[in-house]
Amino acid sequence: MNTPRVRISPAALGVILVLLVIQLYLFETVLGAVLDGQRSVLPGAFFVSLALTAISLFLAFRSTVEHGPKE
Amino acid sequence: MTTWWRRAFPLELAEEGHFSRREFARFLAVVSAGFTAGIGYLWWRKKPLEGASDPEAGPKELPVALGLAADLQPGQSRLFKFRDAHDACILLRTPKGELRAYRQTCTHLGCAVRYAEERLECPCHRGFFEPDRGFPVQGPPSRPLAAIALEVRPDGTVWAVGELPKPTLETLDRRAACPREKTEVTA
Ligand code: FES
Repeated sequence: MNTPRVRISPAALGVILVLLVIQLYLFETVLGAVLDGQRSVLPGAFFVSLALTAISLFLAFRSTVEHGPKE
Repeated sequence: MTTWWRRAFPLELAEEGHFSRREFARFLAVVSAGFTAGIGYLWWRKKPLEGASDPEAGPKELPVALGLAADLQPGQSRLFKFRDAHDACILLRTPKGELRAYRQTCTHLGCAVRYAEERLECPCHRGFFEPDRGFPVQGPPSRPLAAIALEVRPDGTVWAVGELPKPTLETLDRRAACPREKTEVTA
């Protein structure tokens, strides 16, 4: 019998890791700017961060609907 | 045969010892969402963070008297409180004879800076700032100190009247930002 197998490729995991590193850098930069009283960066940074998160979530959760190779 | 620690701690978890790539990817994605939520919170929160610069407060600021300008000789400094009892600031006269004031909060981890040997020094991790514009010149701090706007009145008294916006890449006068370069240009 075919059992559905949930898989995520190493490449997808790598992309998610890279996106997380970018998020970390972005957050640190935004925090520094806010502490310096420059709040104008916040809307742009939020939407960039949101886009990165959407890609990460898509890559991480999309795999649940895929089925592994048939045996 | 079960090991002794299994018998001592008879806890069984179905997924024990198994942390799949998928779970790890999901964990990373959720952490990523956490960063987005953090930036969203900073955007939604209108109040500046504790210890952060707030140049916007300018017009409704209460000026604070800091004494006679002539009392401060080059290389000397005086501490004062600006917006409230916790807002520690430092007034100083630079070696060139100009008056400057900065918030005492170090931009690294928030220790109080002091004026010594013609530089502002943070004793916590030996961070140094130059006194003309408050730029970091040595040690861990990477952002300039918050500068306080000063006014010298006709009677010779100095007043703290607001907070200056921090220089950004657009407003940065690069020659002024680098004291050595400036000396060469003006020499
Ligand atoms: S807190 Fe000032 S250098 Fe670290």
